[in-house]
Amino acid sequence: MRRWQIASFALFFGLWELTGRWPVSPAFPPFSNTFLALIEMIRDGTLGKAYLITAQPLALGIVLCAVAGIAFGIGMGLSRAIEWLSLPVFIILQAAPMAAIIPLLTYMYGIGLTSKVLAVIMLAAPVIVMNSYKGIRNTPPSLLQMCRSFQGTRVQEVVKIVLPHAAALVFTGLRLGLAMGFIGIVIAELLITPTGIGDLISYHSSTADYPKMFATIASIVAVAAVSLHLLQRVELRLFPRD
Amino acid sequence: MKRFIAAFAVLALTAGTAFAQTKIKYALGDVLGIDDLPLLAAAERAKKRGVEVEITSFKNEDIATQAVINGQADVGQGTPYAALEKVNVPIRFFVQLWSLQFFPVVANEHYKGWKDLDGQEIAVQGRGSGTEAIMLLMAKEHGIKYKNISYVPGSQVRALAMLKGNIRATILDSTNKNFLLKEGGAKFTVLPLGNVKASDEALFARLDYLQKNQAAISVFVEELVRVNREINKDPNSMVALRKQLGLLKDLPAKLDDDIPTYFKEGVAGGIFPNDGGGENAAKSDLEFYALSGSIKKENPKIEDFWHLAPLKAALSKLK
Repeated sequence: MRRWQIASFALFFGLWELTGRWPVSPAFPPFSNTFLALIEMIRDGTLGKAYLITAQPLALGIVLCAVAGIAFGIGMGLSRAIEWLSLPVFIILQAAPMAAIIPLLTYMYGIGLTSKVLAVIMLAAPVIVMNSYKGIRNTPPSLLQMCRSFQGTRVQEVVKIVLPHAAALVFTGLRLGLAMGFIGIVIAELLITPTGIGDLISYHSSTADYPKMFATIASIVAVAAVSLHLLQRVELRLFPRD
Repeated sequence: MKRFIAAFAVLALTAGTAFAQTKIKYALGDVLGIDDLPLLAAAERAKKRGVEVEITSFKNEDIATQAVINGQADVGQGTPYAALEKVNVPIRFFVQLWSLQFFPVVANEHYKGWKDLDGQEIAVQGRGSGTEAIMLLMAKEHGIKYKNISYVPGSQVRALAMLKGNIRATILDSTNKNFLLKEGGAKFTVLPLGNVKASDEALFARLDYLQKNQAAISVFVEELVRVNREINKDPNSMVALRKQLGLLKDLPAKLDDDIPTYFKEGVAGGIFPNDGGGENAAKSDLEFYALSGSIKKENPKIEDFWHLAPLKAALSKLK
């Protein structure tokens, strides 16, 4: 399996090299140039500095979503009133084209950190909330009936049955929320004000330094993919699949 | 009959080629506004002379530049000196539309002059942009250092952010400086600026395109220079010209008054060149954009960035 994975990467990078050398467009650099640019950016510290800036709104947004989003999702799952009031909002948010909505944040919250954190929240929250909600709602009724037949209280029902049962889906929601958060922060940094990774992409695009521009984009894809993969492994360890 | 068909085919092919040669695909990295009126007027007049200029608005200058690099557009507008220096396709500027005219603005509740900006945060258009270069130049001149420079694309966005108090010091174009002073009144001060002369908007194209299509490009350049000369003679002429040629018909009526104001201010600042900029503009640009860090090469040469033949051809007809 691992060999095939390496072969798949080799094929992809090989094709990239070929198309870059062909060239498809003067603005499309071969893989080798992009890789060298990536090494240069890591060495001179520009990439590290950019990630420190990008990580700030991303982490803030995800932590806020994790605390408030999970609480909200659980609330929705446990209370019909909260569900009735907020489910449509999250369904609409999930379907809305965020790239069109995020620039509107600047009209309300300006161009600073708040808007970027909100962009992350707008993309990540629906996934986190909906997964927590579904986790609660999917509790097997037979377990609940068992709890009631043993004269368990509502609190015991929630703490001992509903929440442990929902935990796996809540964690999946967090992982998917982080994936959406990556999308949100890149859109925000490209559309609101160029900072961090967004600044590197737009600056290298404006100076036609395409290898560095592609290297930045490839790095954010790699960082997102690796972090999600690690989270998935943690998830599998904590909640092994049946 | 066969001969007739063959002759018809040749004619159709020639006409097709001639049409293709006289259509210039123009990439604009912005939405059309008041400042584009001279361009629109020149395009209308060039069309009457058989050179159609098809203007497409892109989201920003970078995408417009990429369209030219990739050959999807013939002519681009802007000052992408850094891109021109790096990209492996020879691209050259060939005429200057107007030179830089920007206004550093501060919220006077916090700052009164340049010295007060020492150690403070400012906002400019983008990294490596002309606006950043001007602000850095001024910092050097006044012996100050900014704490941080944030990048906020769009003069309009920066003007709104100033009004909301999100930023306290920035640099704006003429239209948005006027908007800010109109809306915010006495709350804002325009700081004095030294003599900065460099292109704000110039036209560029692939060198092979310029060489192959010099006739069509010269006609277009001739019309651009002609319009600039008319504006310099009478800044109000654009109002009449807009009406006569039916330009920017969907411009909101409340902006009508901004047209003469913009052109009067521009003429007073001497931003519209009567000679298409040419060698002088090229020299000032190389100096300014080297200082701003856009041009990295030491002792850059004019011929590496500018191709002056179409402009010379156009000027010889205008004399």
